[in-house]
Amino acid sequence: MKGIVTALAGVLLLLGVGGKVVAPATAATQEEAVAKTNLKVGDAAPDFSLLSDKWEQVKLSDYRGKKNVILAFYVLAFTGG
Amino acid sequence: MAKLEASDTVVLGISIDSPAANAAFAKQIGVTFPLLSDMNKEVLTSYQILKPYDVKGGKYQWAQRTTIVVDKQGKIQHVEQGDSAVDPNSAVSVCTGLHKPKA
Repeated sequence: MKGIVTALAGVLLLLGVGGKVVAPATAATQEEAVAKTNLKVGDAAPDFSLLSDKWEQVKLSDYRGKKNVILAFYVLAFTGG
Repeated sequence: MAKLEASDTVVLGISIDSPAANAAFAKQIGVTFPLLSDMNKEVLTSYQILKPYDVKGGKYQWAQRTTIVVDKQGKIQHVEQGDSAVDPNSAVSVCTGLHKPKA
């Protein structure tokens, strides 16, 4: 279990660094203001169905009544540098 | 993650990457939860978190780094954006809190 905790921390760390889009030092990568969502606590989360990394459709509503879901949006894979 | 499993919580990573890129990324960083591909940016649009990035003169729209907790009823319980969204602790504590009966 500890390994999984480390993995989660790792992914979030990578995703975080990814937010800065690590690129060659010469690249002018500009990070602009936060794209602030109007969604707020108490709102219904918009449902979606997306392909997973295993090419399976995953729907948010699949978890309805079963699990809480943490949605972790990240900028790009492999941008942790 | 053990805390999350104990509190009936799953994690879904979401980006505009392809499933193949996400599969390789998952392998590299050793995650076991699904990484989802929003290649059409429909979800980023419906969650209002498409953000313009300027890379070498090119304009792109990718995700704003965001963490959202959705409870079992499909209601949003937590929204965190920007640099602080990298730290999973507050989202985790929301989930463990959801699991505990309200005092």
